[in-house]
Amino acid sequence: MDSPLQSVNDAAAAAAAAVEAAEEQDRTLDLASVDPVEENDEAFLCCICLELLYKPIVLACGHISCFWCTHRAMNGFGKSYCPICRCPYRHFPSICQMLHFLLLKMYPVAYRVREKQMLEEEKKAGFFSPQFKENLTSSNSCEESDVLVSPSTSSISGSQNVPASCTFSAAICFPDITESLDNASTSTLGQNGAENVEADRNMAAEVRHNFTNGDHKDKTCVPICTTDLQCIACSELLFRPVVLNCGHVYCESCIFRQVDEQFRCQLCESPHPKGLLNVCLELDRFLEEHFSKEYATRREAIRLQHIDSQQSAAQGRSCFENPFSSAKCSLQLSDLGRNIHLGVGCDYCGMFPIIGERHKCKDCEELIGFDLCGECYNSCSKRPGRFNQQHKPEHKFELVRARGYPRIMLRLASESSEDGSFLVLSDDATEDPEDGQAGHSISDDVLENSESTNSTT
Amino acid sequence: MSISGGSGGAGGGSVGRGMSWCSTTSVSSSGKRIQKEMSEFGAYPPEDCSAGPKGDNLYQWIAAIIGPSGSPYEGAIFFLDITFPTDYPFKPPKVMFKTRIYHCNVDLDGNISLDILKDSWRPTLTISKVLVAIKSMFTEPDPYNPAVPNVAYLYLEDRAKHDKIASEWTMRFAT
Repeated sequence: MDSPLQSVNDAAAAAAAAVEAAEEQDRTLDLASVDPVEENDEAFLCCICLELLYKPIVLACGHISCFWCTHRAMNGFGKSYCPICRCPYRHFPSICQMLHFLLLKMYPVAYRVREKQMLEEEKKAGFFSPQFKENLTSSNSCEESDVLVSPSTSSISGSQNVPASCTFSAAICFPDITESLDNASTSTLGQNGAENVEADRNMAAEVRHNFTNGDHKDKTCVPICTTDLQCIACSELLFRPVVLNCGHVYCESCIFRQVDEQFRCQLCESPHPKGLLNVCLELDRFLEEHFSKEYATRREAIRLQHIDSQQSAAQGRSCFENPFSSAKCSLQLSDLGRNIHLGVGCDYCGMFPIIGERHKCKDCEELIGFDLCGECYNSCSKRPGRFNQQHKPEHKFELVRARGYPRIMLRLASESSEDGSFLVLSDDATEDPEDGQAGHSISDDVLENSESTNSTT
Repeated sequence: MSISGGSGGAGGGSVGRGMSWCSTTSVSSSGKRIQKEMSEFGAYPPEDCSAGPKGDNLYQWIAAIIGPSGSPYEGAIFFLDITFPTDYPFKPPKVMFKTRIYHCNVDLDGNISLDILKDSWRPTLTISKVLVAIKSMFTEPDPYNPAVPNVAYLYLEDRAKHDKIASEWTMRFAT
């Protein structure tokens, strides 16, 4: 039932239509920009925003979504659940860089269009996702000439100024918007869309033009090779890939062989939180389709290895999975329940919300409010943060205590909040009746943060 | 075809309360997603369902479901109001029946007791999946999770009488 756009009388409604038209344009831009080479099948689409994955994050259950989609889908008041399988988790994982660069290589135009869109959104919000240097594609010249790359390099430096290229791209969009604004009053949605498709094709062509000018000509036809999809441990093609909380990818068999109490990534030494760790089936399927021959040989090799060490592997696996029962999780919560820092995550291990000690950096000012949890603070880790903060040794930290609010406050809040985010928290509390106070504490951060974001938006 | 005016206007878009700690969800991202769903819905609409924006507001949709054959709601058209919150898809859309219906999971105001519209909502669900779920509700009511306990009781105790009343209501309100 596609009801036609009514004639728009007042200016506000016209503006809204223009925004819609612009969004429509953005949407069709994606479709238009997909080359025959870049035919984007169902694989690697984010099932939250229904677009190409941008800065993919793989949860412990093996499901992939975009960085921002994951962040928004998380619950800052307690346990979060995978948007796909509702598997509970507590840590906001790092971006899987391997997948990021893979997508960049596979869909160079579409991915850059996504990057541009997201950068504009990030600029509006004032929060930036982590940026990566293009160490894989490795051309300095492209960073200077390519319009689409420069925004990312400028925000690496942490500046929140609007990069020149973005205002430039906004200027490109503007004529289209005004044009469709004129049309909006008379034409139907469908017609509007058709016109936009035309405009989008031009823009996509322009993107592609910029893109090919910037020494990217080869890249569009560079095939993906096995070196793009290597296991960190065995340096061979991934077989049944699992992605750790730090975003590094291993074969399932390589992980379970080196099980100990707390599993650490070999590359970045960051611990993987206790919890399940499933194979990323989407990536697995991709591997099987694209490298069927290599994949089959890998499968055979691993099968042979498994026969040798079947028993030990089985043991290793069970001891890896055992401690992660939900009982353990809720126990952890009830132990430290009084100290939940609602809506605040840890920059290094990704725990969200922080349970236990919270160390707030006085030198890295960031609205999104990711600090350090006690454990990461004590380990003096040098890993990059979740949102571009780099806590340096000379930075001063203060210990922030979550302030407990009476239970009645919580009840009022949960009654008045439409979304019922608090209800999850009280669920947690009812799981452990021996600790009635568990989770019933609202830190002042929430109020503080919401105030600050309200003022910015 | 009479559509009960009811109190359907209650589902305003008054989300975005101060309790969220960071409002990183911009309107445009939810709008983009809704637009994406709209085009997908246009391309592959579920059987016997249709939906689309009411006017120029992308966040207010109207949908229609044709009662499936073999149920007391057979052949009738049921209209639904869909209101997307600004932080869609992280919060479920509000779906209300505008047409009166005798069903244990739909109350007099048109509110639906369906788990995926409440606690079991996942951001990966789309409006077409929701409509399919509602459609399946016609043939398989869930009397153990009722919005109208009396109807649920009748459904369990005297199915024939329940179906008779339901088809009477359908005749009266939905055809």
